Amino acid sequence: MGLKKKNSELFVNTIGLLITLGIAFFLVIILIFILSDEPGKTIYYFLIGPFINKYYFGNMLNSAIPLIFTGLGIAVAFRASMFNLGGEGQVYAGGLAATVICLALPSAGALVGIFLAVLSAILVGGVIGGLSGFFKMKWDTDELISSFLFSAALILIINYFITGILNDPNSNLLTTPLISDKYFFLYIFPPSRLDISIIFALLTAILVFFFMFYSKWGYEMRMCGLNREFSRYGGINTAKYIVIPMFLSGGLHGLAGSISILGTYHMCLKGFSGGMGWNGIAVALIARNNPLAVIPAAIFFAYLEAGAKAAMLHSDITFEIAAVVQSTIFYLITAQALYNFVRYRKRVEV
Amino acid sequence: MNTFESSIPLIHNSVNIMTPFLLAAMGGLFTELSGMLNIALEGLMLFGAFFSVVFAYYTGSLFFGVLLGITVTMALSLVFGSITLYLKANVFITGLATNLFASGFTVVLAFHLFGNKGVILFQDLPELPKLTIPLLQKLPFIGDLFINHNIFVYLSWLVVIAAYLVIYKTPFGMHVRGTGLNARAIKSLGLNPRKYQLSAILISGFTCGLAGAVLTLNLGAFIPNMTSGRGWIALVVIYLGNRTPLGVLIASFIFGFAESFSNYAQGSINIPADFILAFPYLITVAALILHSMWKHYRVEAR
Repeated sequence: MGLKKKNSELFVNTIGLLITLGIAFFLVIILIFILSDEPGKTIYYFLIGPFINKYYFGNMLNSAIPLIFTGLGIAVAFRASMFNLGGEGQVYAGGLAATVICLALPSAGALVGIFLAVLSAILVGGVIGGLSGFFKMKWDTDELISSFLFSAALILIINYFITGILNDPNSNLLTTPLISDKYFFLYIFPPSRLDISIIFALLTAILVFFFMFYSKWGYEMRMCGLNREFSRYGGINTAKYIVIPMFLSGGLHGLAGSISILGTYHMCLKGFSGGMGWNGIAVALIARNNPLAVIPAAIFFAYLEAGAKAAMLHSDITFEIAAVVQSTIFYLITAQALYNFVRYRKRVEV
Repeated sequence: MNTFESSIPLIHNSVNIMTPFLLAAMGGLFTELSGMLNIALEGLMLFGAFFSVVFAYYTGSLFFGVLLGITVTMALSLVFGSITLYLKANVFITGLATNLFASGFTVVLAFHLFGNKGVILFQDLPELPKLTIPLLQKLPFIGDLFINHNIFVYLSWLVVIAAYLVIYKTPFGMHVRGTGLNARAIKSLGLNPRKYQLSAILISGFTCGLAGAVLTLNLGAFIPNMTSGRGWIALVVIYLGNRTPLGVLIASFIFGFAESFSNYAQGSINIPADFILAFPYLITVAALILHSMWKHYRVEAR
């Protein structure tokens, strides 16, 4: 019975997701017909673009890597019924922290340097996220608004450092100097920028999965997410599970930033993390907060962005068109009525 | 802004700066009272900003620009509201969707219409009418507060008075508040709580459309994501204003004053521009935390 119920829920979710995606793509195709002078070509690159050569395909997978981390970060918080809307700033701060560590340690061993850079990024992101959790625990400050505001302020302050004291005077980009090349992650799919960290991302997803479903902390955290009052009566320290999920969420976002720096950018470029935080939310929602489902959801989102970029390069539409698909998904992904409709139809069939 | 004519430019500018906050927060107050945290204020305001200046440019008329801008913004709020209420979606996520959509769609359209994804200047827009009473505007403080502002400032005050009357003096306002306090009670009266929530969202679409128009028509330009967090600050303003129109008015003025002061500080002390831009967020989050502390200890003291 339990298994059957689980399977039918999976069916309902899958059909609901397909309807959502169908509507999203339908809307964007209509929009392309209205806006583009050569809609056929634009649609071709939008849908097929990421697969036409090894370079595009590898880059698409590469841009899924940070989304796996941010998606995991959001899923961890969501499971505990916490909203982390500060992902954008946490990724950026993690990226800056990793860059600063790498620049400060030009002569450390490669592994030591990478380890310290990643660790500091996790801590920086974690503390920023954890701060919103702390205020929530202490005074019931809305973590959704506070995490957003912290992040928005932080982005501007980081911009100041990147364009100010950390700026590379020899570059005409707004960026810090390049980190030492011994810290670069290995490329595994030339000519694309896909690097070894994709394996690290997959391992992290598995680790988070086991943490959430097979550890005491994970269990207690999920219980708090389901019903905090009930958990408190059950003897769980619920205050702890306001701060911990926000810390973990922020830490995973920081990690996303450091991985992007070490693997892809090799310097902290102004605004490099734009969109990674918001997309992480969409990824977690599509994955229904399941850490393993985050992987395909992240790849799907990377595909959307890659398609929009290809359409921009080869045709006359701007990259922001991806936001139309993304927002349609945001609109419909939590729409209960849609899923109830599928449920109802299924019952009628049976 | 002709600051030479007012004796205390700091106060005069505060009133100008607070207007978009005040308008967005006044609409957000309705959704808040009806029991929903309206994250979409930011996106709605951005929609209003883009469409009112674009329509004003094409029609050559401020009135039609604002009217059509508000109409389009209300249409977006209708989409947001009906998906949230009738498809039973999570209001935070649909709010984010609205912000994301507004931010992307305005850029896509700007690129299509003007071939430009950066700052779009609209040259020969009609100038905003101003209330000038030379005798009174020389009065310190009073003159700065009340005279020599553009028409939107006075409109926003009308909106505050209207909001007060609607919320406290009409059956509709009672029902909106009732929906937020106890939706089931409203249902037991044979009324539909969702109808009041949708109306509240549409009202927020109206005021955010107007708030957006203030931004672009004052500037004569559109900049992608130019609302830069004002919708979020408006949300906090609602809390700080204790969820009453008068409170929101006072809280908006304090925020307007803080920003006006930071602009002023920028001129005299050498603070980096990014810090000045971060200042509204920092002061907002500090205010939010202080407010929750105050609430927390007040409940504890009881």
